[in-house]
Amino acid sequence: MLLQLRNIFKWVQLGGQRIFLLKDINLEVQEGEFISIMGPSGSGKSTLLNVIGMLDTFDEGEYDFLNESVHSLKEKYRSNLYKEYIGFVFQSYHLLDDLTVEENLEMPLLYKKIKSSERKALVADMLDRFSIVGKKDLFPTQLSGGQQQLVGVARALIGKPKLILADEPTGNLNSQQSEEIMQLFKKLNKEEGVTIIQVTHSEKNAAYGSRIINLLDGRKI
Amino acid sequence: MFRNYLKVAWRNLIRNKSFSVLNIVGLSIGLTVFTLIVLWINFELGFDRFHENQERIYEVNNQYAIEGEIWTWNSTPKAMAPAIKKDYPEVDWVSRYYYDTPFLFSVDEKRIKATGTIVDPDFLHIFSFPLVQGNIESVLSDVNSVVITETFAKKIFGDKDPIGELVKIDNADSFKVTGVLKDLPDNTDFTFEFLVPWDYLIQKDWDDNNWGNNSVATYVKLKENVDFNNFSANIKTLRKNYDKDSPDMETLLYPFSRTYLYSEFENGKEIGGRIELIRMFGFIAAIILLIACINFMNLSTARSEKRAKEVGVRKVMGAPKKYLIYQFLGESMLISSIAALLAFVIILLVLPSFSNLVGKELSIDFTSKAFWLSAIGIILFTGMLAGSYPALYLSAFKPSAVLKGTFHKANTLITPRKVLVVVQFSVAIILITATLIITQQLEKVQDRQLGYAKDNLIYTFIEGDIEKNYGALREELLKSGAATSVTKTSSPITESWSNTWGIEWEGKKENDKTIILRLMADDAVVKTLGLELLEGRDIDLQKYPTDSTAVILNETSVALMGFEDPIGEIVNDNGKKWHVIGVVKDFVFNSPFQKIEPLVIEGAKGWFNVVHMKLNEANTTANNLATIERVYKNYNPEYPFNYDFVDGEYAKKFSDQQITSKLAGLFTLLTILISCLGLFGLASYMAENRIKEVGIRKVLGASVGTIVTLLSKDFLKLVGISILIAIPVSWYYMSNWLEDFAFRITISWWVFVIAGVLTLVIALVTVSFQAVKAARANPVKSLRTE
Ligand SMILES: Nc1ncnc2c1ncn2[C@@H]1O[C@H](COP(=O)(O)OP(=O)(O)OP(=O)(O)O)[C@@H](O)[C@H]1O
Ligand SMILES: [Mg+2]
Repeated sequence: MLLQLRNIFKWVQLGGQRIFLLKDINLEVQEGEFISIMGPSGSGKSTLLNVIGMLDTFDEGEYDFLNESVHSLKEKYRSNLYKEYIGFVFQSYHLLDDLTVEENLEMPLLYKKIKSSERKALVADMLDRFSIVGKKDLFPTQLSGGQQQLVGVARALIGKPKLILADEPTGNLNSQQSEEIMQLFKKLNKEEGVTIIQVTHSEKNAAYGSRIINLLDGRKI
Repeated sequence: MFRNYLKVAWRNLIRNKSFSVLNIVGLSIGLTVFTLIVLWINFELGFDRFHENQERIYEVNNQYAIEGEIWTWNSTPKAMAPAIKKDYPEVDWVSRYYYDTPFLFSVDEKRIKATGTIVDPDFLHIFSFPLVQGNIESVLSDVNSVVITETFAKKIFGDKDPIGELVKIDNADSFKVTGVLKDLPDNTDFTFEFLVPWDYLIQKDWDDNNWGNNSVATYVKLKENVDFNNFSANIKTLRKNYDKDSPDMETLLYPFSRTYLYSEFENGKEIGGRIELIRMFGFIAAIILLIACINFMNLSTARSEKRAKEVGVRKVMGAPKKYLIYQFLGESMLISSIAALLAFVIILLVLPSFSNLVGKELSIDFTSKAFWLSAIGIILFTGMLAGSYPALYLSAFKPSAVLKGTFHKANTLITPRKVLVVVQFSVAIILITATLIITQQLEKVQDRQLGYAKDNLIYTFIEGDIEKNYGALREELLKSGAATSVTKTSSPITESWSNTWGIEWEGKKENDKTIILRLMADDAVVKTLGLELLEGRDIDLQKYPTDSTAVILNETSVALMGFEDPIGEIVNDNGKKWHVIGVVKDFVFNSPFQKIEPLVIEGAKGWFNVVHMKLNEANTTANNLATIERVYKNYNPEYPFNYDFVDGEYAKKFSDQQITSKLAGLFTLLTILISCLGLFGLASYMAENRIKEVGIRKVLGASVGTIVTLLSKDFLKLVGISILIAIPVSWYYMSNWLEDFAFRITISWWVFVIAGVLTLVIALVTVSFQAVKAARANPVKSLRTE
């Protein structure tokens, strides 16, 4: 088992009133699963993904990740944990505009104390795999949206994560580009056994996954 | 990792050119000012600090309670040094220092005037003025020996070896050069070009054993391991055995190392001196650097929206907060290094002018380790100071918040940034008011009614044959038509050389020890100096031969002495009876910044050093001077004709205040400039961040005016708060500053109005430049950018 959420609640205090963003979420994810999260806008999909990715905290409940109790971990250990095992893909790519494609790919490795020569090799490998060697010296603004997201996925993969969290990865792409990214996810999941959790609004994209989770008002339905 | 930081930092610099330029220019101005002031302070603090064993060197001072107030002064009787030498074995060396005196040196046909003094042979043992030629033990042992500086030696002897050469001093006595001193460094208060042994003074019969005549400086160097506290308690009562008139006057040892910076006493306590000026500008240096750093902080945090995404992404990729802090600090270090480099170039360019302005030869010693260490220290410190807040602020962003895109903090001025802007502008306003007040004070004093006519008035010192030929000289000067009036006086009208509490008059209170200034004048003093006669008449020896014991009082003296009808009253001074023949309006004799003291002008029975002449206004000054020189050459052929203009000498009294005023003005200007650079940057970010809001408002029909108001309002509010903070602070400090001057302005309210309005206008122009730009942008374009 990769991770397990038990009775997770998250709320914000607004004028003496608790507004629940997540309500009693229970979720078990096995290694190698490909999960799609769906639900109307504002239903808490991103919030849930952030909680799973440990970028956000929750107020009640328990969360185990690879047999570690995330809810009782200190911030520093938590960040070590996600740094090691989780890769993130965003709707708006979030590549750093000041860095070239190559440098963007290298960036996560900088925080992992990996030697320079090894970093170079990993980056070259990734460029090769995604067939973007020719683009390595370009800056993100010089790429199309599809290409940018390709780099985004490559960046998420470079640290060899067990889990990829993708928040509407194709939200800004046209259907052909979407198709490509989805095919890529499917391949990664099948061939390399990477666990994937994606948020999506599209039934078609959701179908790539092995399981669909529906949210409504912060509650699993 | 480091290379990566540097790369990102550099790209950031290049990408955001205007941000970088604002930051670098602001910081480098701050660094330049800071460094210049520190160089100056360093020079001042090093003044006369190069003497070996300086902690054992003391200046002998006197302390005496007069009218319940303790007075401290540093001139001593000539008999003091021998007494110390005889009675106090703790003292290793002791030397007197006669005042700096101009002497005429002649070798063959060459005549050169030089300033030097008469000292005891111990002098060279006390102070570290090394001899390049001659033996320290014997150079001053012979009456007719003279020690000269290298430059002076070159001037009289050229390349000839000066040792053993003969020179004639003051056309009378022949001296043998026994030693050559290394030129005095720039950072010493001593200015002599030659030294003559004290025995010469005795030979000339200028020595005296009068303990009431405090006229020379006395320096001592104690033996090693002397317990200073014990010894100073011991020497305190020195006068008991010698001074019949004031046996209770205390003898005080004042550390020589403090004489330059401190040595101002009030009621027996050291109250500072030059050090206050240095502290003030040190404070200003720190403040200006701080203001430059504040710019950096403000601009960096204002840019936070742009950097927020980067922080979020890096954190999601696993960057620990620590690394992000390093990264941002690294960026500010890079900027401070570039700024330092630019500052360095500016400093090299402006150092000569700045030296000129403060009147000190400042220089940078590139070979000194201390210089490089402090340069690196300043870069690191500035980088840290400027970068710390942005680094902590930026690195604290939560990735889940910034990446969601709901992050819009930068739209408004956040509180710390507001505080920083308020600090900047408060300082600017304080400096503006300070500059205005200093300038006003200076102008008031410069416009002060002097009480004498300083124009077309010159003076010369009595030297050579002038004393002997004075009668004929005067006669001829008047006859030549170059001078309309001539008088001999004891000192120049711009300097008071003599004072006493020993003057007696009828009705003087028993222990009234009010100090009265003395001026002596032989004839026509009122006419020559242009004094304003209130009662009685001028001294006129021709008509009234008894005027040799006449005395003229100033108003303050009359009030002190309580004379109802002063003319004809008698005052006793120096064992002579002087009869009052006139009263003059108070005139400025000492410092124009202080109140006027009681003064007596005694007649021809006094002693004389100076000749004052009123030039004939019907001729050109050049003609007058040429004529006078001819007359002087006639009666004093051996001496070059030297003269000083009274108005020029008077102007010198303002040099210190003028420097203060100029520096204050300069620093104010730079502070405003730096603050405006920051405000400009801040306003441009604000405008940029609100470009969408502005677009929507315009589409909805808002006018340019309302939008400019909207964008400028926040800033102007801050400037308003700054004004409220600055006024009381400035008022408090400037009232304190003015306390030092007896003759001073009262602070007027409009100074604050001017400073406030000026700052508001400058801020408004700076901010609205950006606001107008934003408001006039095409809304369709700006809305499409999202
Ligand atoms: N800090 C917060 N304070 C108050 N409400 C919040 C906060 N963060 C999120 N919310 C609310 O929580 C709800 C869930 O937000 P979330 O971003 O998870 O929605 P979502 O399902 O991802 O929507 P979308 O499909 O539009 O991305 C929303 O109604 C949002 O307004
Ligand atoms: Mg969402």
